[in-house]
Amino acid sequence: MSRDIWNGADQGDGVPLVPLYVLVNGRTSPRTAGLDLATQVIALKADTGGLEPEYDAIVKRCQTWISIAEISSYLKYPLTLTRILVDVLLERQFLAVGSPAQETIVDRGILEKILVRLKSL
Amino acid sequence: MARKSVKLIVAGGFGTGKTTFVGSVSEISPLTTEENITEASVGVDDIRGIEGKRSTTVALDFGRITITDDIVLYLFGTPGQDRFWFMWDELSQGAIGAVVLVDTRRLDASFPAIDYFEQRQIPFVAAVNKFYGECPYDEDEIRNALKLRQDAPLMWCDARDRDSSAVTLIRLVEHAMAQLPVETWSTV
Repeated sequence: MSRDIWNGADQGDGVPLVPLYVLVNGRTSPRTAGLDLATQVIALKADTGGLEPEYDAIVKRCQTWISIAEISSYLKYPLTLTRILVDVLLERQFLAVGSPAQETIVDRGILEKILVRLKSL
Repeated sequence: MARKSVKLIVAGGFGTGKTTFVGSVSEISPLTTEENITEASVGVDDIRGIEGKRSTTVALDFGRITITDDIVLYLFGTPGQDRFWFMWDELSQGAIGAVVLVDTRRLDASFPAIDYFEQRQIPFVAAVNKFYGECPYDEDEIRNALKLRQDAPLMWCDARDRDSSAVTLIRLVEHAMAQLPVETWSTV
């Protein structure tokens, strides 16, 4: 009888001891619709005492608005995993989310604001 | 909440100056985020075509420009390897448009990007990156070589230069605005 037990053989330097997918209970896609890599999140006031370190690190990064791509970059977590960790934190109300970034922009006003800013660069 | 992210794509083949371009206009040094293709992306991303279970890393470089208190513009460079199209799909969903950087010494490196945005009707400008002084070709020659449609803007830029990159982005946003549907329905 063989059992499939992870023996750490494929573990490289800097890889967490616990495989990151265990932290998200095997979840492979975010449940919150519209969690794009550019979507921004911010920490809510909550007691983070019981949070696992990987989640806690994210909440600490979110004291001001920050995108999922930035969190992934700063914490060196793979992008999709970051998205799922953020999704869990949203569900548990440690984070709040901004507007989805993958809606097609039809608002001329937003584009005009961008033009004004680019012209001031 | 009203906090809004807006995306722009900086595309082009390997070595066309994408990260340089992003870095020249970004308010932060370009950041890199990585995707591990076999580990966490199954079920989210289409991994067809990436055979075997070896994990592959796709790197994305990006920068940001704060537009107003509640709008932030993110500039994403496309992955260097053209086979990671699913990343392009995520990047371009909802994006205002794309800058396709062109190196006249290797025009073919920019064909896949031009095809991609043309097929999906995503507004883009082709920007010839002047790496080493003057470009030996004129606009018509480059347009023909790239098979650019007449309505697709073509311009020259220097990806290292902040002003030049800003002008390129301005041209792109103006082009995207020109393609917005005219609001005529409500007046009938």
